Amino acid sequence: MQFLDLLMLGFSEAFTPTNLLFCFIGALLGTLIGVLPGIGPTATVAILLPITFFLPPLAALIMLSGIFYGAQYGGSTTAILVNLPGEASAVVTAIDGYQMARKGRAGAALAVAALGSFFAGTVATIALAVAGPTLSSFALSFGPAEYVALCIFGLLAATILAHGSVIKAIGMVCLGLLLGMVGIDVNSGSTRLTFGSTELYDGIEFVVIAVGLFGVAEIAVNLESKEQRGILQSTIGRLWPTKQEFKESWAAVLRGTGVGTILGVLPGGGATLSAFSAYSVEKKISRTPEKFGHGAIAGVAGPEAANNAGAQSSFIPLLTLGIPSNSIMAMMLGAMTIHGITPGPGVIQNQPELFWGLVASMWLGNAMLLVINLPLIGLWVRLLKVPYRLMYPAILMFCCIGVYSVSNRGFDVALVILFGVLGYVLRKAKCEPGPLLLGFVLGPLLETNLRRALLLSQGDPLVFVERPISGILLAVTAVMLLMLVLPSIRKSRKVAFEESEN
Amino acid sequence: MKTLMKTALLAATMLATAAGAARAEWPNDRPIQMIVAFAPGGSTDVMARAMEPYLEKRLGADIVIENRPGASGEIAYTALAKADPDGYTFSFINTPGFLSMQVQRELGYDPQDIKPIARIVDDPSAVVVPAGSEIQTLKDFVEAAKAAPGSVSFGTSGVGTDDHLAIILLGAQAGATFTHIPFSGAGETRTAILGSQITAGGLNVSEFGGNDTSGLRMVAHFGRERSAQLPDVPTAAEQGYEVFMTSERGIAAPRATPDDISAKFADAVKATLDDPEFQKQAEQLALPLAYLPGAEWEAQMPARLEEFRKIWAATPWVQ
Repeated sequence: MQFLDLLMLGFSEAFTPTNLLFCFIGALLGTLIGVLPGIGPTATVAILLPITFFLPPLAALIMLSGIFYGAQYGGSTTAILVNLPGEASAVVTAIDGYQMARKGRAGAALAVAALGSFFAGTVATIALAVAGPTLSSFALSFGPAEYVALCIFGLLAATILAHGSVIKAIGMVCLGLLLGMVGIDVNSGSTRLTFGSTELYDGIEFVVIAVGLFGVAEIAVNLESKEQRGILQSTIGRLWPTKQEFKESWAAVLRGTGVGTILGVLPGGGATLSAFSAYSVEKKISRTPEKFGHGAIAGVAGPEAANNAGAQSSFIPLLTLGIPSNSIMAMMLGAMTIHGITPGPGVIQNQPELFWGLVASMWLGNAMLLVINLPLIGLWVRLLKVPYRLMYPAILMFCCIGVYSVSNRGFDVALVILFGVLGYVLRKAKCEPGPLLLGFVLGPLLETNLRRALLLSQGDPLVFVERPISGILLAVTAVMLLMLVLPSIRKSRKVAFEESEN
Repeated sequence: MKTLMKTALLAATMLATAAGAARAEWPNDRPIQMIVAFAPGGSTDVMARAMEPYLEKRLGADIVIENRPGASGEIAYTALAKADPDGYTFSFINTPGFLSMQVQRELGYDPQDIKPIARIVDDPSAVVVPAGSEIQTLKDFVEAAKAAPGSVSFGTSGVGTDDHLAIILLGAQAGATFTHIPFSGAGETRTAILGSQITAGGLNVSEFGGNDTSGLRMVAHFGRERSAQLPDVPTAAEQGYEVFMTSERGIAAPRATPDDISAKFADAVKATLDDPEFQKQAEQLALPLAYLPGAEWEAQMPARLEEFRKIWAATPWVQ
């Protein structure tokens, strides 16, 4: 059984003291920032990215992914207890979770959320372990033409699934593509958009954009709003769910896991989309939909399982094809590149200990989260009392030191300030920076592969439709575009997002 | 006011004496800074960090490695050329990049301000094909390109790299045209060869031997003689093509660095490379060690530079 051997290899890697430690740090940090509103996992990963230089690659990846799925747990704690989703994907959890808390069933809601998340995390980890090697052997037949089609598909899907206006999202993608062009052109060796500065020869550092747009800008936006902190209304109550609650939630957990695992793989998908979709599935399927919004336990169980499953399965396209499906995965790609690892099919083949170590650590991390979260809930809630004015200067300083240490250049720190301002302006204009980051990451991939494909076909553009995989992907993309233009679908998309925002 | 002045004067005098007294003999005044022109985790960086403890021991000095990546090394070389020549700043330099950039663009520094101290590694470029490919010899490769111009593609790790220059030289000598497909590193080239996306690709001997080689086959390399790591692979010259191209790595200092300091440093490098313990590490990293004193290394450079100028005049690799 080769599969078992590889999984054993993964666990032996994940169980080394260093990796266990960083798994724990990641899970703990994730819970922490999940609990604290005002700083999400994207910003945290962006800020910590430069620090991971000094770690071994596997430890760095383990910690960063721990932050991502840890935040899914932490976010639900405050959503349930004080109606403050610490994280976007926990917004739906707050709807029914907080109602349960008001009825004195906070304990049950928290337990169902944690257990459901653990179950979903386990399933998604298995999915990753199974799908990874299969997909990556398939990925070797991915040539330049297929990558072009996949990038176009991914970018378009990301704009459709993004919140808010599609036009703005497409604009953001284009801005990202443009920023990705700065530097030496891979094919000709000439410089583009560098304005004569040698600092820009290699393009804009990924960390600079990530920290500026997500870290600095997020802090600026938070400083605008007055501190609003929830107050714990009720006692937590008995942790273990009643028999009735258990009966109502197990099927929801299963469905949420399925929805999350599938949606997480899609470009633009991930935790938030999975949670919203699972909630609407539960509401539609339920025999008592009127209970939703008034403390239905299925409304907590489904989305909680889904957000965790989605968080984990979004690693699949990154680790097998080297294509990030959302901005956090783009950060993970950045982290891998920093360590000289090219994400893609080569990773599973050449560095199996990296892939399997990460997979195993995810399962361990989920188990740790169960322990961190349930018994320590009181502690996490108390953390909400730390005033923001004490937190943000520390975070900002951390950002600057981190960015400086990437290339030891003050120039990069200046750029961060610039991107921080840009990020703030974009948020004010209701433009999401996520598609921009994806455009920035996928842009160079799209461009080099487009030119490579045309070089190999000696200038024949038909290569994109003649090769079956790329032909199919392009056809699907065309259908998506068409759907976007059709008025009836535009309307239902709008309704779907409005519902999720209320 | 008077007291304040006095205190200030006193402080200034003390500071000056302290500074004077603290100037200890090289290399004990302060840590030696070694610049790496590439990002942490890259092959040059890994090599630098492997050497660091050995050099520290031989020199009895503290060494600090500083990564100054960017512009294929130009940022680091500019910093080196402009550093104080007091023996506390060294940098790793890589050829052919150090030479080819002098041909292809205006630089922010004068290459004459940089003095090579010692060569450490000499890593031949090579032609690598998928294991199942019909190409067995370099001649097959050239003939295939002649039979159907444009259909034979060659992947390299970028414009102006040793792989790229090697294929230009081979093409010029054999009268064949290859379609050049630049990738952004050896890892990508490797995946493309494995997936048969390209006819062949350029991987250096260390990049080939340092990894799992199943699915790949090296047709020939462009070293002067057979490599110790891959004794079965013929050189291009053995197959009838007088093309030589290697990627070298070594250490350099600002030109005006005192000769006795340069000599001491070169000795420490040599002693490190002769250390069996380091050699074991080098073997793990697949480093083809090839020590050469700085003066001898520098003496080879004008000829290579001239060769690059000629290629550039015929086929400028940067448009």
